[in-house]
Amino acid sequence: MKTFEERLTAWIDGQLTGPDLAAFEKELATHPEAAAERAEARKLGDLLRAQPVPKVGNEDFFNHQLMQRIAAETPRGVEPEKRRVSFWSLPRLVLAGAACLLVALGLFHTLIPAGLPPREKTDYYAEVVELWPGDPSISACTVYDPADNVTVVWLEGLDYIPASYALK
Amino acid sequence: MRRLAALLLVVLAVRAFAEEGETAVAPSVGSPVPVLRAASGGDKIWSAVILATNSATPKEAPPELGEFTARLKRVFGYTQYELIGSVTEKIDDKSESWLVPSRNFWLQVKARHISSKEARGGYLLNLQFFQDKRPILESEAKLAPGSPLFVRGPEYGRGQIIIVLQVQR
Repeated sequence: MKTFEERLTAWIDGQLTGPDLAAFEKELATHPEAAAERAEARKLGDLLRAQPVPKVGNEDFFNHQLMQRIAAETPRGVEPEKRRVSFWSLPRLVLAGAACLLVALGLFHTLIPAGLPPREKTDYYAEVVELWPGDPSISACTVYDPADNVTVVWLEGLDYIPASYALK
Repeated sequence: MRRLAALLLVVLAVRAFAEEGETAVAPSVGSPVPVLRAASGGDKIWSAVILATNSATPKEAPPELGEFTARLKRVFGYTQYELIGSVTEKIDDKSESWLVPSRNFWLQVKARHISSKEARGGYLLNLQFFQDKRPILESEAKLAPGSPLFVRGPEYGRGQIIIVLQVQR
């Protein structure tokens, strides 16, 4: 059911027709000021229509600015506050930590050799502790060949012995 | 799932710590400190002077060099090995010994027995090598029975003089 003001507005605008118009005009008998109000509204409408319409340059910009201003002044509807739930819940943190630890342990065991390399089991036991060449012209070094289990003291700078020299 | 992961973590952690502990402790336990003591009775030191040469028709090495020939060939690369001389002396820790395997090469030896399991009855030897009265090398070496020491000496003709030392039991 429309209110009296709504029906009055529709009547002034000439939008009431048929039984609605007849019923409202009966009702207007108790509102003598309604006819004067209608006449005034129509006069104002005619006056406005008679005015020249100002031309707006940059219509799109004007419309854009207008819509932005309307949007800024229109109070936003209060949205229900969503409960923020962090991805990193405690169980996930624990699981992530455990996964990191597992990866670290895996890398430790695969990439870092555990302790000292195992010694070859061999009965060979020959080790040169120190070397002192008997002459500055002589140099000495030790070579160990684990494949053959051989320790060699390698002397360089010794005098060549000609084949004519008889070794005894 | 979580219990399984936690259990796995605990097992891995315990294993890692146990291995680390073993690594840290093992050297102090497993490596005995060598102790020098008097020579064992009956141990001898054998020394030989060898001439290594290349020959198209190499002679067979003498039986004294039988156990060394293969290794000598691999290390020095010559095809023929002749024994110039050799000598065996009883190891005496009370005094210095002279080993004279040849008239041109000899050595003075002072030995101390090492009584550690790792040394396998070996000796700490103080060695002085001479070539015709000229001292060419002094050395301190640990030797055990069956573990020879090769000394690459001077070149001779187209060959090489090699001195071999080995403790014998």
